[in-house]
Amino acid sequence: MTTRTDVDAAAVRRAVEGVPDPELPPVTIGMLGMVHDVHVDADGEVTVELLPTFSGCPATDMIGQDVQAAVTQVPGVHTVTVRFRHSPPWTPDRIDAEGREQLRRFGIAPPGGPVVGAVEPEGRRSLPLALSGSTDPRPCPYCGSDDTVRDAPFGPTPCRDLRYCQACDQPFEAFRS
Amino acid sequence: MDTVAAPDLTTARAQVLLAVADDALVSGHRSSHWTGVAPSLEEDLAFSTIAQDGINHADLWYQLLVASDDDVRAGVDALGLGREPEAYRHAILCERPPRDFAFTLARHWAFERFDAVRLDALSASSDPDVAAVATKLLHEIRYHLEHADHWFTRLSHAGDEPHARFGEALGEALPEALGLFEAVPDEAEAVDAGLFPTGHPGLRDRWLEVIEPVLRNADYGAVVPAAGATVPVSAAGGRQGRHSPDFTDDVWPEMTALYRSHPGARW
Repeated sequence: MTTRTDVDAAAVRRAVEGVPDPELPPVTIGMLGMVHDVHVDADGEVTVELLPTFSGCPATDMIGQDVQAAVTQVPGVHTVTVRFRHSPPWTPDRIDAEGREQLRRFGIAPPGGPVVGAVEPEGRRSLPLALSGSTDPRPCPYCGSDDTVRDAPFGPTPCRDLRYCQACDQPFEAFRS
Repeated sequence: MDTVAAPDLTTARAQVLLAVADDALVSGHRSSHWTGVAPSLEEDLAFSTIAQDGINHADLWYQLLVASDDDVRAGVDALGLGREPEAYRHAILCERPPRDFAFTLARHWAFERFDAVRLDALSASSDPDVAAVATKLLHEIRYHLEHADHWFTRLSHAGDEPHARFGEALGEALPEALGLFEAVPDEAEAVDAGLFPTGHPGLRDRWLEVIEPVLRNADYGAVVPAAGATVPVSAAGGRQGRHSPDFTDDVWPEMTALYRSHPGARW
């Protein structure tokens, strides 16, 4: 007979959600909405399912390893399996209010509200396919002005573009939509 | 060195996924040519990101061919870098060198517009993993399409010389782009099974519906591929693994050099 180990499932979830994004340390993967499911069974086996953000993100593998390390620290945990899944697709509207605020403080304009058009006709997830800087305005993360323009659609990482604030004459980055 | 069971690449599903992945991998490799030498910093960032996206999109498709209980990284590397040149299923257009910026942008536009119609078809795949990845990538390539369309508009409205040079580049790229619509071996099976709705040959009309009006509006009617046009012999056969020296003597040896000289290397 095996000895049942009581693992605090809430502690496991906190450990997972508290893992920072290696490239945006003030923001955790919980804030980014990357945690799809955390399953803890009676033998201390934990399975974590994560939704990767942008497919070009080089931090994805590191996040998997960091989650593994963080959950291993929780008392009673024997084995940790981390899996990435692509359904539902991660979209920036999964970033919670705290994550948006942390991004702004980091100098990166967060994406706006829900992704318009993310409906599921006949069970198929449909995401918006048009893109325009003018339909995705971002307030300046420094002065808060709405008088900003998008300078370039490609920035320093696959998740950011480049903007410019015409009120405080400050270039800044924005998290892509 | 990790060992992983080699996936069966002879199935119709594997052949279709290899075509999708290899197009992305080889296009990504060619896009990376501009890193550090693009005509402007913005274009350097754009093509470097597009290169990174291409290689990572390929990675996601290869993952669908690796058994989930295997070492996924080793399995993906084996597929992306460990095959002989004739096992790659990308179209020959993707392996062409960047030549000049006009050809780069003409090929980029033709390919991105093709990628969008193919991902749209795959997003309705009967295979839930295929549909999920296609849906995700369709959302991501909005930035590629915007970039490609922006340059199409800019060059075609910039006066005589840019219009003429971009037109010449489209005249080189579009006939070879017809090679994107060749079928992989046993593709009909994947189409019948609903894994790849429409199939490569069937996507040609959808692609033409998108690009033809754009070409005609920009006074490029002369380069619209004719209804019965076939891909030039020199650019045919990529989906069957027949590649040009641009791949066998250039992209492939460079792309796979590290993998072949240090089997099992981690980075």
